[in-house]
Parts: sequence; structure tokens; C-alpha cells
Amino acid sequence: MSTPLQVLVVDDELAMRESIAAWLIQDGQQAAKAEGGREALAMMEEREFDLALVDIKMPGMDGIELLRRIKEGHPDTLVIIITAYGSIESAVEAMKAGASDYLLKPFDPEHLMLLLEKMGRQRRLMQENQMLRQRLAEGQMAGFEDMVGSSPDMFKVFDQIEEVAATEAPVLIVGETGTGKELVARAIHNRSARSFGPFVAINCGAQSESLLESELFGHERGAFTGAVKARRGRLEMADGGTLFLDEVGEISQKMQVALLRVLEDGSFLRVGGGQPLTSDFRLICATHRNLPELISAGEFRQDFYYRINVFSVSVPPLRRRREDVVPLAEHFIAVFAQETGKAPPGLEDKARRALISYSWPGNVRELRNIMERAVIVSKSGYIGLEQLTFLDEGPKPGSTALSLAEMETEHIRRVLTAHGWNITQAAATLGIDRTTLGRKIKKAGLRSP
Amino acid sequence: MIPEPDMPTGQAHAPQVEVVPMGRVNSTAAQVVAANLQALLELDTMVVEPWPEPAQALVAARGQYDAGIILRELATPQGGPLRLGLMGKDLCVAFLTYVLGESQLGGRAAVMSLHRLSEGEGGGRAPRHVMLERAAKVGLHEIAHVLGLEHCRTAGCLMRFSAGLATLDRLNMGFCPACQRDLIRLRMDLPTKAPAR
Repeated sequence: MSTPLQVLVVDDELAMRESIAAWLIQDGQQAAKAEGGREALAMMEEREFDLALVDIKMPGMDGIELLRRIKEGHPDTLVIIITAYGSIESAVEAMKAGASDYLLKPFDPEHLMLLLEKMGRQRRLMQENQMLRQRLAEGQMAGFEDMVGSSPDMFKVFDQIEEVAATEAPVLIVGETGTGKELVARAIHNRSARSFGPFVAINCGAQSESLLESELFGHERGAFTGAVKARRGRLEMADGGTLFLDEVGEISQKMQVALLRVLEDGSFLRVGGGQPLTSDFRLICATHRNLPELISAGEFRQDFYYRINVFSVSVPPLRRRREDVVPLAEHFIAVFAQETGKAPPGLEDKARRALISYSWPGNVRELRNIMERAVIVSKSGYIGLEQLTFLDEGPKPGSTALSLAEMETEHIRRVLTAHGWNITQAAATLGIDRTTLGRKIKKAGLRSP
Repeated sequence: MIPEPDMPTGQAHAPQVEVVPMGRVNSTAAQVVAANLQALLELDTMVVEPWPEPAQALVAARGQYDAGIILRELATPQGGPLRLGLMGKDLCVAFLTYVLGESQLGGRAAVMSLHRLSEGEGGGRAPRHVMLERAAKVGLHEIAHVLGLEHCRTAGCLMRFSAGLATLDRLNMGFCPACQRDLIRLRMDLPTKAPAR
């Protein structure tokens, strides 16, 4: 069923506005009433309306003046002028002032129904248009194009995205900070039936409980100090699309209860509001925390966890997919070269090896930052060790403070750490066989933690 | 009224819905509407003695009767039966050229008109059975509104809005599954039997 239209009926005749509003409500729309232009404008400051039915002849501010003011302050609200005094001149004036249609009372009920359906389609098209423009600006039109990976772990993630995108199931994306959880969420959205709807994201860990409540549920004017205007929350904005709750492990138990109620009832109130609202969205959550551990510790609700974790996608840390490091680095080089207007610099061998062997505590986000800086500072058309600034510095392989043997030991230690002391993988990265590596480990006195 | 075989004789019976003919009304149409309310909505329904045409509701300039005024006349207090007024004359509301029926959403009363239901294609007269079927559909639709159902977008459902006869004729004689579930829930709020008078 389509989302109800929010309609404001403006007519100085009580019987007329009551009967039109009652008819709209019976039709499943949401209708509010105003006696005149000033009241209508005040109500439009409190909440948004999709459509206003405005009588042309009213004392004080007439319908045409009201229409002009609505178009100035609320250009997205469609306006239909209605009147019992039809004339060609007033019809032309209304259409010139921005009315979507002009109706003579009494109007044919079939005509009214068709007009409401047309207004509903127009509103949906406007909203889709806004959504598409925003997504184009963000460069988020692609499915997997922003995610680079040929490792088995990433192929598994891609398969899971394809599998779950076709459903409406809530998804929980789990992974360390910087692994690209939001990209996975966007990829699911872009491949779903809701791809033309909004993708609304919110970082639950970035704000206080009260601010988060207002961000999610919206608020009415005067709901709290500073609430000078009514505001739609992310739940409303996500209607018809996807709501992405990042760092869902950070939200309080009180908010978990509130969200659980929304997921089960489908309705909610704005902060300070009294009118139940509904929103049809698909929920995707992400966290870097171990939620089962938090449940055991009494810090996360089990019922909420089961509601958000119908399907789980685990995004691997970068250190577990080293074969993707260089392709990712080259992808970022291309992106930032285009942004800076430079020719993409090449990666020197030593730089490649350093990138592969690094531990990547910050995952893909850290790699992105490093490559962005490297592209900016590179001058020779190549990126070498000198242009790479790692978060977890330690002595660089090129440092002159160490002897050759010490440098080798340090390098072996770092590669082993990066591979979680997997001898086979470490040996492959170092370019030597397992036996040789085993001998060097023993000679250097290295031990696994 | 459809008699209950096990009802003791001589005992007054208070139905859940009263069908109230207002002025000159086809009595068969009244019985058909009542029978369908009984059968499809499972509401104990009775056709009562006709009321006079509501002169106070006449909009002389339009030659129609104001449905809003009639609804106020028909509404009963809480605990009493719901009422469906049945008019032979045309109905209107202020902002629409005509209405086939009108009701108080979640209220106590509805009213419907047979006036346009006999229209056939090309300005002729529709067969009698078509008129009676249309009457049943409008009556069911309006009383469902009184119970609390809003319009439905599902094709064929009786709660889909139909301003004209062509769309009315395309409706099924029944409700979609979602509306049926809502009706079951809404009927539970009605008294099982209205108190006897």
C-alpha cells in the first residue's frame, strides 16, 4: 500500500474543511485543517505537507496569496486551488503562481480521486528525483564498484550481498573499524528493490542518547530547548528505502527498546509529538563490537539482537586479505589522481612489499588515507617508501639505525605478526620457503606471542 | 429480517445493524442489502419501518439531499445499533457533485442512495440484478467504514473507492484478506447483541 499523503485543507467554511478532511481520512490519507492562510502557514512551519487544498476566496489572505507564500517557503508542497467561483482569469492566475491544479466546487468524486492519485505519483517522483541527485553527487550509483577484492573472504562477502539484497531481511554487518561496513550496506541497498528509495545512514556512536533520539525519531517544534522548528527524523526520511544504523553496539538499552517497538509495531512518535507516524524501511546495522559478548555482559538486549541479526555479513580485516592490498592501493591511487588532476603515480616494489606486510590496524580506511597523502606528495611519478606514512610506525625497513641482520629480524617479525604467525603465508610474503623461514626464526630467537 | 430459528416467540429482538428506508425505497433492495450485511459482515441486521424523507436535508438548489445532515439524524448513542439509511433520492456533500454513500468512519451511521444505481450503459437502465448487486456493495462498503475500515488500494476489494458505477461493477462481492482480518478485529468491539428495547 502506498504511503498516505499528508494533506492540509485550507477553507474558511467549517463544514467544507471538515467534510473534505473526513473524506481524505476515509481514503487513507492524513489530513489536517486550517481556517485561513495565517493558520495554514503556521502549521506548515510545524510539519511538512505533501499537498495543500486551498480555497481561493478567504478573508484576510486569499488563496492566491497563500499559494505564493507556500511556494516561497515550502516549494515541495503541491497546491490545488479550489473555489466555488470559477473564472478563467483566476484559474490562469493560480496556475501561473504555481498551483498544480485548479478545481471548481462541487467536483466530481472520480475526478478528485484521480487527482489525488496524480498528486501522490508526483510527490513520489519528486522524492525519487531528489534521492537520485543526492546519490549521483555522492558517487554511490554502483553496486560493487567501490569495493575491491579478489580474496576468498571478499568473494564470500559479495555472494552474501547478492543473496540478501533480494530480500527484506534485516542485516547485521560485523567487522573492525575501517573495513568498509557502510560500503557493504550501500551495496546491499543498491542491489535491492529499494534502490530508488533513500539510503539514510546514522552513526549511533557519534552522539548522545538524547540527540540520537531526536535524529532518529525527529522532533516537533518546542519539544526541547532549541527545537524552533519541527524536523523529520531519519526513520521518516528512510521511508521506502533503507535505514543504516552504524555502530549499533553503542546505543543505550533505552534506545534499543524504542527501536524494537518501531520494528515490531511499525509506528512511532516524534519527540514531543502526539501523532503516530509510520515508515516502511529496510534495516541494516553495523558494529565492530562483539554483540553476543555484550549480551552476556548485560549491555545489549538479546531480543533487539535477534531482531536486527536475521542475516549476518562478516567483513574481514585487511590483514586477512593481503592479496587485496595492492589492488586497493592502486584503486585509491586512481581515485586521488583524478581528484588532484595528476597522472596516477606507479607503486615501487619496496612500497608494494611494505603495504603487503603492514599490519593495517586501521584497515581499508587507513590504506585510503595513506594513499591519498602519497598521491599528493609524490613528485617523481612514483610512490616509494618515503611517501608512505603508516599509523603503526615502528622502525621502517629503510631505517639506517639498524644493522642488516637487525633489519632482517625486524622485518621477519613484522611479517609474522601481520600474518598472525602463519608460517606458510609469511614465507610466501618474504619470498622464501618454510624451512628457510623456520631456520631464521630460530636463529633470531623469535617466538609467537 | 432473516429470522433466527431458535429465537423464542414474543421476545423483542435488537439487531446490531438497522437498515432504515427513508422515503420511497425499493423494499427488495433493502432486504438484499440487509441480507448481505448479515452474510458477509456477520452482523445481525434488520430492515426497520421506513422513516419519512428527511426534508431538512434537502439542498433545493441541487435537487439532492445532504448526506452529512442525514448522518446526524441517523446516529445512535453508544451501545445502540448501527444504522444504514437507504434513500431513493440522490445524495451529495458540499464539495462533491454526488455521493453513492457516506458514512461516519468508526462512528454510528451511514447513508446510501439507490438513485444512480439503476443507470446502465449508454444512458439506459441496468438490469435489476445489477442494481441490487450494486446496492449490496455500497451498503457493505459504507457499514465497513462505520466499523472503522478505510479505503483499500487492492484491486477488486469492496473497500476500494469507487465514485462511478463502472468501478463499482468491477469490485468483487467481498473484501481482500487484509481487510477481512481488520474486520474480524473491528467486529469484536461491537456488542454481540444490542440491548433489547
